[in-house]
Amino acid sequence: MRESSKTPRLNMPSERLILSARANLQNHVLGLVGRSALFVVTSVAAAAVLFIIVYIARDAIPFFQLRGVREFFTSTGWYPSGDPPVFGALAIITGSVLVTVGAVVVAVPLGVSAAICLSDVLPFSARQAVKPVIEVLAAIPSVAYGFFALVVLAPLLQEAGGRVLAVAWYLLALPLLFLTVAVISDLLTSRIQVEARRRLARTIALVVLAAGALLLLALTGRALYGLTIKTGTNAMNVSIILGIMALPTVVSVSEDALQAVGRDLREGSYALGATRAETMIKTIMPAASSGILAAVLLGIMRALGETMVVWMASGNAAQIPSPLFNYLEPIRTLTATIAGDMGEADHVTGSARYHVLFAMGLLLLVFCFLCNLASEWVVARQRKKLTGEA
Amino acid sequence: MRLATRKLLDVSSSSLGFISIGIMGVALLVILVPIFSRGAQAFVFKGTIEHRRLLLERFERGDAAAFAEEYEAVRAARQPVYDTIATFGAAQQQTLDKMIAVLTRLSKRNDSIARLVKRRLRRISDDEPFLDNVDTVSKVLERLEGHVDSAEIAGDLALLHSGVDAMAPQVAALEELKDAVANLLGPAPGTVQPALPRRQYGATRWDRAEVRLQDLLYETLWDYSGDGMGHRVLKPRVEQFRDTPMEPLFDYVEHHAEAMLQPRWTCYWGFLFDKPLDIHIFGGILPELLGTIYLTIGAILFAVPVGIITAIYFSEYARPGRIVSFLRTCVSTLAGVPSIVFGMFGLAFFLNACHMPKGVLAGALTLSLLILPTIIRASEEAIRAVPRTYREAALSLGAGRWHTIVTVIVPAALPGILTGTVISMGRAAGETAPIIFTAAASVAAVLSFNPLQVWNQPTASLSWNIYNLCTEHEAANEIRHVQFGMVAVLVTVVLVLNLFAILLRARIARKLKG
Repeated sequence: MRESSKTPRLNMPSERLILSARANLQNHVLGLVGRSALFVVTSVAAAAVLFIIVYIARDAIPFFQLRGVREFFTSTGWYPSGDPPVFGALAIITGSVLVTVGAVVVAVPLGVSAAICLSDVLPFSARQAVKPVIEVLAAIPSVAYGFFALVVLAPLLQEAGGRVLAVAWYLLALPLLFLTVAVISDLLTSRIQVEARRRLARTIALVVLAAGALLLLALTGRALYGLTIKTGTNAMNVSIILGIMALPTVVSVSEDALQAVGRDLREGSYALGATRAETMIKTIMPAASSGILAAVLLGIMRALGETMVVWMASGNAAQIPSPLFNYLEPIRTLTATIAGDMGEADHVTGSARYHVLFAMGLLLLVFCFLCNLASEWVVARQRKKLTGEA
Repeated sequence: MRLATRKLLDVSSSSLGFISIGIMGVALLVILVPIFSRGAQAFVFKGTIEHRRLLLERFERGDAAAFAEEYEAVRAARQPVYDTIATFGAAQQQTLDKMIAVLTRLSKRNDSIARLVKRRLRRISDDEPFLDNVDTVSKVLERLEGHVDSAEIAGDLALLHSGVDAMAPQVAALEELKDAVANLLGPAPGTVQPALPRRQYGATRWDRAEVRLQDLLYETLWDYSGDGMGHRVLKPRVEQFRDTPMEPLFDYVEHHAEAMLQPRWTCYWGFLFDKPLDIHIFGGILPELLGTIYLTIGAILFAVPVGIITAIYFSEYARPGRIVSFLRTCVSTLAGVPSIVFGMFGLAFFLNACHMPKGVLAGALTLSLLILPTIIRASEEAIRAVPRTYREAALSLGAGRWHTIVTVIVPAALPGILTGTVISMGRAAGETAPIIFTAAASVAAVLSFNPLQVWNQPTASLSWNIYNLCTEHEAANEIRHVQFGMVAVLVTVVLVLNLFAILLRARIARKLKG
C-alpha cells in the first residue's frame, strides 16, 4: 500500500505494489509519527482532567495548611471577611446536600417512572413526540432556569406560597390517592369468593377509603393553604428547579438501562403470564437496577454541580435550617459560594479566603469524581451481568 | 391475586408513567411560556413618544419630520401640566417672599429680633432650593419663640408660623411631584439637561409609563402594623394639594396621559443590534450577543479538532488496553466535572499560571474543555456508525488507513459529528459558571467585529448578563423586559441549535435506512 494522497490507479502493474525497503521503512515511520500525534491530541482530554485536579488541589492545599482541617468541616460560621475570619463550611456543605437530596426526591421518582413509560408503555410515535420535550428540558441553559426561579417562581411562592403549594398538592395527590384507593379496595376484597358479594364489598370499601382519602387531602391541603413563605428564594424553590434540570439525565440514562435489558427477559416474563407492571417491577427493574442507580448518581452530580440556579435563587444564607428538613429556609451551597465569593477573594490571591474556595472546589471535584467512577463501575457491572446471563 | 386486581395494578403503574411524563411537559410549558411571552415584550411593545425621541436622538433612526410634528402636539398636551406647576410654584414663592418681608420689617423694629434673625435671613436667596429657603424661615421662627415679649409681635409670629407649617409639606410634595412628572414625561422644558440618559427621557414604554403614572397619582406607603409584614397602602397625592390650584392637575394627567405620551405599538428589532444605553435601561443587547457568539465560536474552534481526532483515535486506532481505558475514564470524568470547577481551573491555570488576560481567549478555552467530552462522544458514535463496507471498499481500492479515514470515514460521519458540534454550541452559549472568572464583564464595551482584536478583552455575554441584570442591577425591577428579552434570545439561540441538530439526526436516520 502506498501512503500517497493521490487516488490509486487501478490498472497499475502488479510489481509496483511491492515497495522498496526504504519506502517500507518510511511508511512505517510516518505511520508511527501519525499515530503518536493522534495519541498526543487524544491525551489532551486526559491531561485536562489531570491538570484540573492538580491546579485545584494546588490552590486548595494551602488552605488546610493555613487553617487546618477541623474548622472547615465542623464549624458552621462562615465569616470569610470577618476579623478574625471564620471559614466553617459545614452549613454550606449541608446546604449543598439538602438541595441535592431535594432534587433527587423530585427527579428520581418522576424520571424513573417516565423512563419506564417511555421504554415499555408508549408506542413508537408517542415516544418520538416525548423525546423532544426531554431534549429541550436538557438544552435550556442553567441561567435561564435560574432566572425563572428568581423572577417568576420566587415572587409567586412569596406572595401566594400557601395557595400555590395547596394547588400543586391537590393536582399531584388526587390522581395518586385515587389510584391507591382503587388498588387497596380491590386487594382488600379479593379474598371474597362470591362475585356479587365481592362487588358490593368493593364498592363499599372504595367509598369509605375514598372519603377517608379526600378528608386527608382536604386537611393537608388546608394546612398548606394557610402556610406563609417568608422568602421565595429558598431551598424548596431551588430543589424543584434542580430536580427538573436533573430529570432529562435521569430519564435518558435509566431508559437506556431499561432498553439494554433486552427483549428476551421481557418475552419470557410475558410468556409466564405476568402483566406489564409485574414484568417491569419483578424482572426488568432488578435487571436494570444498576443502570438506574447510575442514572441517580448522574442526576446527583448534575444537581450538586449546578451553580447558576442556586446562586440566584437559594437565598445564599450560610445557615443550617432548623429543623434540618425545613426546605422553606434560604440556604447556601458550595457552588454558589465559589461563584459569589471569588470576585472578592481573587484580589487577595494567596490568602486563606482565596484558598478556601478552592478547597470547596476540590470537595466538589472529588465527590463528582467518585460518583462518576461509581456510575461507570455500576454500568460496567450491569453490562457484564446482562451479557453473561444472555 | 385476582386477575382483575393485577390488571388494575398494571393500569395504575402505566398511569403513573403518564402522569410523570405529563408533569414533565407541564414543567416545560410553565418555564418556557413566561420566558417567551414576556421576552417578546422586549421586541414588541407600546412605545411612547419618548421611545421615538430616544431612537431619533441616540440611534438616528426614525422619521424626524413626522416626529417633530407629533412632538409639537405632545408638547401642547403637556403644557398645562407645566403651567399649573409653575403657577403654583410662583404662588408659593410669593407667599414666602411676603413672610420674609414681614420678618425683615419686624427685625427693623426690634433689635433683639434683628440680632437673632439677620444672619439667617441672609442665607435665603433665589439660588438655594426653594425647600431649603422654606426650611430656613421655619428655623428662624423656631429660634424666635420665647425671645419675644410684645403681644403684637407674638401674634404676627404665630400667623407666620402657621403659614410656614402649612407650606412646608406642600413644598416637599411639589418637589416629589415634579420628580414624578419628570419620570413620566422626561425633564421639564427649561430645566438643565440631566447627565444620566435614564433621566433624560421619560417612560419609553407604555407599561412602564402606567407604573410611573401610578407613582405620580398615588404615594406608596408601607403599613407595618399587624403581622409585621409590610402592606402596601396607596395614598392619592391629590390630597396633599386639596383646595389649591394644583387639584385639577391630577385629573388632567390621568386623562391625558396617552395624549402626552402617544403610545403606539412598536416593533423594536434594534433590541438585538443596538448598543445598550445607561447599563441596559435603554437600547439593545449587541455586546452580549457578540460576546456570546465569540465565546461559542472560540470554544468550538478549539474543541472540535481535538474532539474529532480523539474520536478517530478511539474508534480506529486504539486497541483495548490499560492506557485506552484510562483515557476513556478521563473523558467521562471530564464530562462529570461541575461547570464551576471548570471556571476555577480557568482562573487558576489560564489566568494565574499562564498569565493570559481575562478575556475571550481564556473563556473560550475554558468552555472548550467543558464541551470536549460531548464532541468526543458524538463523533465517536458517528464514526462507529459508518458501515464496515465503506472501510473495506476504501481499503480494497488501495487507500491507506489514514487516507481511508480522511476521505471516506470522516465525510460519511460528518453529519453525526456536526450534530454533536451543534449541540455543544448550544451548551457553550448557555454556560455561565466557566466564564464568570475567565471572560465575563458586566459593563463591557461592544467588542470589535474583528476577531483578532478581541481575544484579550473581557466581554459581556448573554448568560452572564442575565445573571448580572436580574441580581445586581440597581434598577433590576424596571428593566424586567430587557432581562426577559435576553433570556428569550438565549433560549431561542440554544433551542434553534438543538432543533437543527434534531433535524440533522433525522436526516441521517433516513439516509441510513435508505
